[in-house]
Amino acid sequence: MMADGKTISREFEVLNTYGIHARPAALLVKAAGKFTCDIFIGREGAEVSAKSIMGLLTIEGHQGARLIVRAIGIDAEEALLEISALFENKFFEE
Amino acid sequence: MAITLKDLWDAGTERLSLELMWGEGHLSREIEEKALNRPGLALTGFFQYFAQRRLQVFGLAEFTYLKSLSSEEREARLREMFEKNVPGVIISRNRNPLPEIRALAEEYKTPLFRTTMITSHFINECTVILEELTAPRERIQGTMLEIMGIGVLLRGQAGIGKSETALSLIGRGYSLVADDVTEMVRTGGRVMGFAHELTRYHMEIRGVGIVHVPSLFGVAAIRRDAILDIVINLHPYKNDAEEERTGIQPGAIEVLGIKFPYYELPVSPGRDMANIVEATALNYKLKLLGHDAAKELDEKVIGSFLRKAGK
Repeated sequence: MMADGKTISREFEVLNTYGIHARPAALLVKAAGKFTCDIFIGREGAEVSAKSIMGLLTIEGHQGARLIVRAIGIDAEEALLEISALFENKFFEE
Repeated sequence: MAITLKDLWDAGTERLSLELMWGEGHLSREIEEKALNRPGLALTGFFQYFAQRRLQVFGLAEFTYLKSLSSEEREARLREMFEKNVPGVIISRNRNPLPEIRALAEEYKTPLFRTTMITSHFINECTVILEELTAPRERIQGTMLEIMGIGVLLRGQAGIGKSETALSLIGRGYSLVADDVTEMVRTGGRVMGFAHELTRYHMEIRGVGIVHVPSLFGVAAIRRDAILDIVINLHPYKNDAEEERTGIQPGAIEVLGIKFPYYELPVSPGRDMANIVEATALNYKLKLLGHDAAKELDEKVIGSFLRKAGK
């Protein structure tokens, strides 16, 4: 965790039919990879790093699931903005 | 692409068990049509549609038929054929050319060859050689290896570690086809890679210099050529945002007009590239066997999510 980092978290609903399968997971990983902050996605007690494909598949982000994204670090705000665009656009699947 | 008898002679002397009986000074004659013709029908006097731009092969049938003719007829028919200015004449089954054939070959400055092969084998092999001689080819910067039957072309900027990766893979029992520069030739729908004759089986390792691979690792460590299956590009690691993460849709690259699966592998400290190149090749082989791990996992995940979403 970064010294000057702040923590921001936001809840998202998975909107696309197929949920966070490999392709959306790859999009999330790529988006998260652009930032230096740590990003976690999941539910309470079951969080994974948003920079891990295999991790993202285990959070079971099916359609309708509500997931919390937590970003910690100097660019946390920008990261969350980019990730929210993915959720809102249904990961460009529909 | 125009090929001459000389090209065929250079490429095929051994493979075709060829012997030049006459015409050494006339090997610059062009083979205008890269195919072979058996002149049997023409020898009966039917010269319509005679494939005069092709090499003419005299087999058992032609010989037996010519022998059934009177010597005047034989001379006349053969003369008519030689008058068409055929590129060359080949006699199969190691037969002695009839005196008329030899004389006419000299008269019309048409090179005369003989092979010990039987006609059908000769035609098959010679067609293959003619195809190879006229096939599109390209010299590509890259190291080629054969990994468990998969032909892998390894590309990447100078100094990224292509040869070092290849060396590791050779150490694991795979074979080197060409180091750093690979000659590619397209035959039919396939592309074959091989090394330049001069540098074949050698490689250059920074700090060590030039090594002779079979002397160090044995003959199993080399291959004369291999059919290309995949292209791998090694590049310096930039950031996660630019790397392929699932492998569900690999990229593609064209070599000599044919598309091949293309993998971009980032190089960074701690990544054993030989290991990763090996895994890439084996994963591709698995796909060929109908088992696409990335796709299968994705389908499993999607199936599970659809049930959970109540669909």
